[in-house]
Amino acid sequence: MSALNTSLFKARTPVGLAIMVCAFALLALSGVAFGSSWIPMDQVASVILGAGEKTQRLIVLQLRLPRVVIAALAGGGMAVAGYLLQKVTRNALASPSVLGVIDGAALGVVLFLALLSNESNTLIIPIGYQPLAALAGAVLGITLVFLLSGRQSSSAVRLLLFGIAMAAVFKAMVMVLILIGPIYRASQASRWLAGSVNEINWSEIQITLVMLVPLLVMAVLAARKMPPADLDEVSARSIGLNLPVFRIVIFALAAGLTAVSVAFVGGVGFIGLMAPHLARLMVGRNVYAGLLGSFLLGAIMLVGADLIVRVLFSPVEVPAGTVTAVIGAPYFLFLLMSRQRHDG
Amino acid sequence: MKIIFTRLALNSFSSTPVPSQRPLPFAWVCVGLIAVLLGAMALSITVGYRIYGPLQVWQALFAFDGSEAATVISTLRLPRAVIAPLVGAGLGIAGVQVQTLSRNRIASPDTLGLNAGASLAVVVASTVFGVGSLMGLSLTAAFGALVTSLVVFAIAAGAGGLSPIRIVLIGVTIAGLGQSIVQIILTTNEAQLQNLLFWLAGSFVDRPMSLAINGGPFIVIGVAMALALARPLDAMQADDETASGLGVPVTLVRIGCFVSVSLLTGASVAMAGPVSFVGLVVPHAARRLVGLRHGRQIIAAGLFGAIYATLADVAARFVIFPVEAPVGAITAVVGGIVLVILLRRRAA
Repeated sequence: MSALNTSLFKARTPVGLAIMVCAFALLALSGVAFGSSWIPMDQVASVILGAGEKTQRLIVLQLRLPRVVIAALAGGGMAVAGYLLQKVTRNALASPSVLGVIDGAALGVVLFLALLSNESNTLIIPIGYQPLAALAGAVLGITLVFLLSGRQSSSAVRLLLFGIAMAAVFKAMVMVLILIGPIYRASQASRWLAGSVNEINWSEIQITLVMLVPLLVMAVLAARKMPPADLDEVSARSIGLNLPVFRIVIFALAAGLTAVSVAFVGGVGFIGLMAPHLARLMVGRNVYAGLLGSFLLGAIMLVGADLIVRVLFSPVEVPAGTVTAVIGAPYFLFLLMSRQRHDG
Repeated sequence: MKIIFTRLALNSFSSTPVPSQRPLPFAWVCVGLIAVLLGAMALSITVGYRIYGPLQVWQALFAFDGSEAATVISTLRLPRAVIAPLVGAGLGIAGVQVQTLSRNRIASPDTLGLNAGASLAVVVASTVFGVGSLMGLSLTAAFGALVTSLVVFAIAAGAGGLSPIRIVLIGVTIAGLGQSIVQIILTTNEAQLQNLLFWLAGSFVDRPMSLAINGGPFIVIGVAMALALARPLDAMQADDETASGLGVPVTLVRIGCFVSVSLLTGASVAMAGPVSFVGLVVPHAARRLVGLRHGRQIIAAGLFGAIYATLADVAARFVIFPVEAPVGAITAVVGGIVLVILLRRRAA
């Protein structure tokens, strides 16, 4: 964290980060406070600090806090993945959800649910392996997109189209797998697909943490190699980077981060697109600040989306992914229109 | 309006059409396609979970005796053997028009978001406004497709004209938006979820004959409009200036095509749900068969689309036998692969 104080930073960087931290804290607290019964903020704080009465402890610690924590982790992870992808492709339109990663992960998860449950619809191996299935699917998805696009992979916009084509194929397979399963699994899986952060327990958060933290550390380490300006081929070579290998490492990291993030909450789209872009606007071009800012903004967005869902649609649990899509799609269109002269 | 579309057309680079090598005589192609279509429809009526002989089919169609076979054939098999070709023809012809209008070989009712727009309109109409009549739903779907096409092209024009790829990205994003809203509506109306989930995947299963009777006229009107617009479309293939130089009322033709495309897409979606990528794949096959003249392209695309949808529907009964897959899943897999091939060839 000492890097945060270096002179590389512009004045807006600490301000931007401070605003994000405050916003996150506020949203996280209200995320715990809102629900079928309102728990005042000061009592929330006291429960988190270890006090409070028994029912409130139960509600806060077992029901609401896990939800907020997983939303923050998943949102942050996806945002960091998006940041890495946008850096390495030099294109603000790149994001994990459109490179076949999320639909690949979805296929992994649905295959996992379909192949590894017995007649009575209970899984024969622990649910803890679900992130691994998502990871395998995500890596498969992004690898296929890159293999198929071949030389065209240097154009981010064309990559997106290959991603769309593969996503269509994966979606069709997922649809078929859902339909051949029992109805219970259909609702389970379609809920996952749309992205939803309810019914998360602490052991799932543990699994996510165990896998997410090393990836985040690796992202920061890789970020050391990223120059503050966006990578371009010439300058990257001139500072001694092996660009093809570096790109592959970054893409693998992004795929891993996305897969772990979506493993339990499902296909939450557009956060990996919006958060890094806004983060760069708010904290400038420094890589560490960008990573931290992306993580915070991603966390803010998913916690916020979950909050919106709970406040607007209660008592029905609408998947949080729908909210991020409804906000994110216009944002993507805006980017597409405003950046059309620069790339593609 | 005219200025906007001209700008749009000027800025989008047109993919140069490749003339097919010495096309077969058109009449032969048509006869061949019609024969294949009839064969596919016969196959669709006879094979499935049970296989029926010609005699049983004959009895069910012309001498209904109330037996189980006759009931299955006339209430389950026959409607889908009629609806599948209607939908395939509609989407195929819509695809031809959309690809010429946007001068974009990867455009289709799906990649421009029209299917999703029509689906959203249907879901909103049936859950929020309680529209139940088939005619009402067909009209709503056509309306949804029309609004979506206007939105997509307006955004593209507002951005000063965009390359084919970007128009498709806009279309796909709008489609994603529509699907999310559909998702919100469906999760808040859980009772509708199971009904609509299969419909939303695109399928010809369990469609009553009345759907075909309601949707059919829309398809017929759409096809008639497309055929009437075939000659102006030929002129617009190159660019708008050439077309107006030849005396073609460019804006009128565009509006006519939008209406025709919306009727065709809307009726198809109302009958079968969004059957993906038919409108992307079929025009390419049609052009290979009969070349670039739109009169021929439209007829060939209609016939080929009908065959494609019917055969995909037959295949859907067997890929995960004994359960039935939604035909939209089959066409999505085929379409996704075709899209990858087109992209690799830089068709757009």
